[in-house]
Amino acid sequence: MTWHKRSAALATLLLIVLSCGLPAQQTPADARSVDVAVIVNPMNKLDSISAVDLRKIFSGEKLSWGNGLPVSVFVRAPQAHERDVLLNRVLHMTESEYKAHWVKKVYSGEAQREPLSLLSNGMQLEAVRAERGGIALINMQDLHQGVKVLKVDGKLPGTAGYSLK
Amino acid sequence: MYPRIVLVIGMLLGLACSAQAQAPNPDPAAAGQQETIKALIQEVNELKARIAVLEASQAKTDAAAAAATGSTKPVSMAVPQPPAAPQPPIPTSAAGDSFGFIRGLKLQGFGSVTYKANDASPPELGASLGPIAGTTGNFAVGDVDLFLTSQLTSRASILTEVVFSEQTSGEFETDVERLLLKFDPSDYLKMSFGRFHTGTSYYNSVFHHGFWLQTAADRPLVVEFSDHGGLLPSQAVGASLTGRVPSGKLGLNYIFEYGSAETIRPQITSADAPEIEENNGNELTAGFFLKPDWLPGLNAGGSFYHDHLNPGASNLHVEQSIGSAHVVYSTPRFEFLNEGFIVQHKIQETGQLFNTPSFYSLISQKIGERWRPYFRYQYINAPQGEPVYPDVGLHNGPSAGLRFDANDYIALKVQYDRTFRRALPAFNNVLGQMAFRF
Repeated sequence: MTWHKRSAALATLLLIVLSCGLPAQQTPADARSVDVAVIVNPMNKLDSISAVDLRKIFSGEKLSWGNGLPVSVFVRAPQAHERDVLLNRVLHMTESEYKAHWVKKVYSGEAQREPLSLLSNGMQLEAVRAERGGIALINMQDLHQGVKVLKVDGKLPGTAGYSLK
Repeated sequence: MYPRIVLVIGMLLGLACSAQAQAPNPDPAAAGQQETIKALIQEVNELKARIAVLEASQAKTDAAAAAATGSTKPVSMAVPQPPAAPQPPIPTSAAGDSFGFIRGLKLQGFGSVTYKANDASPPELGASLGPIAGTTGNFAVGDVDLFLTSQLTSRASILTEVVFSEQTSGEFETDVERLLLKFDPSDYLKMSFGRFHTGTSYYNSVFHHGFWLQTAADRPLVVEFSDHGGLLPSQAVGASLTGRVPSGKLGLNYIFEYGSAETIRPQITSADAPEIEENNGNELTAGFFLKPDWLPGLNAGGSFYHDHLNPGASNLHVEQSIGSAHVVYSTPRFEFLNEGFIVQHKIQETGQLFNTPSFYSLISQKIGERWRPYFRYQYINAPQGEPVYPDVGLHNGPSAGLRFDANDYIALKVQYDRTFRRALPAFNNVLGQMAFRF
């Protein structure tokens, strides 16, 4: 048996053994690279939203949809990818600045309450389905039927140039 | 021969690994994980059942609309959707009739502890109650502010602000600063009824009694609350309307208020002098301001306030008009506040006019995540013989300070003020403050 053949055999063995330890699921890093969709209740007539209106809604400046229906904003609790996208891509704030912003907003009477922070995307889906004026940001991987995905500045998540990722 | 044996051993190992992944694991930790998975699956099933109930009830109530839209499925997507990846539901405090709002009372508070040293001679009360005029320096609690909100429906809510103000005597006085029934039919019309802070200044509309909210350790004198010595009528009881004006990217908004103001202000240069009760008639405030889409954080506008006074129940009847203008640029990291005012008092019996111009400007920049140095300049020039502000005269001077946010709830501030007065010596203030919310 030559040295080359022995090395090839050992390498094959090593590959097989190592492959046992590879995870089958996506890593958190993969999840964080997935686009985040803007979802609304299917009864909402909008199909697209501008980045400016998205900022106004999530910062509490725009409190009702075009037909007068109150906006119900849902956000993920801190540490979630959707929360990071909201703070970094939509509002351009840190977590502390976000909290202070909403304290001021409610205290000045400009908004009735701060957005409800939910601990899972399942809860976000349920909330948006239940509330006709509901809106939330959700990882594409966790998207289910029963909600409507809005284009942002004319782009759907997953297409080139989509801004929420 | 040898490589084949190695290959066979490798394949066997690979199969063993695969089998190990599928076979029941006798390890207690793995058994615990399986129990968790079972529990999660159970919870997922319960969640699915709950969603089905919700969807069924929604389909029933919105049948007509659903028929119009055709389907409740998501819009067509340019990207394929991955298979469902259910997540375990985690209970939150969102118990209520729906996810939209939570019934009940929400209580928040603001407070502060301030140390103020002052070398004014003769002693000056200044613009903050609590610290004792004439002492070289003392601690004071200032205002204890309780803020209560309650959402009644998705459009209606109650807002209450109750303040316990420390007087120079050390005693506390209770004041219902705001009590509002709010109804917001749309972004174009938001109505409030009750006791409110007037829209005579941007500062009055945004910061209220929360020291934690404002960058500086105290309010500029002109926009200080009138019961703390400020010049503007800060409270009224009545109705307030505000909302957007259709104006595209310009972001034009309006405000209109009608109510009864009752302004009682202490004389700031003399703690022992009697308070001036203005006996205001009904007030009217109208204003416009811009919040353009193209520069988030910019707020520019102005307002006009009008009422009639009978200061100190004297024989004088005074017509009061207050014009204000502001240009504010405020982002989470940068703040530039500028407001100017002209308060005009016209004595109806004699026709005499007294104009009191005033302004303040504050600039601050956040450095890192915690530090925020700031600089402020303020100016008030009440003419001699002014019937409503006999104690004010000329007040102007700079303030410089530093705010340190220890966390999301506690801010420490230090501030130095230098104030110049007409025909009186200039004086210095040093303030140290711990402001907090809870």
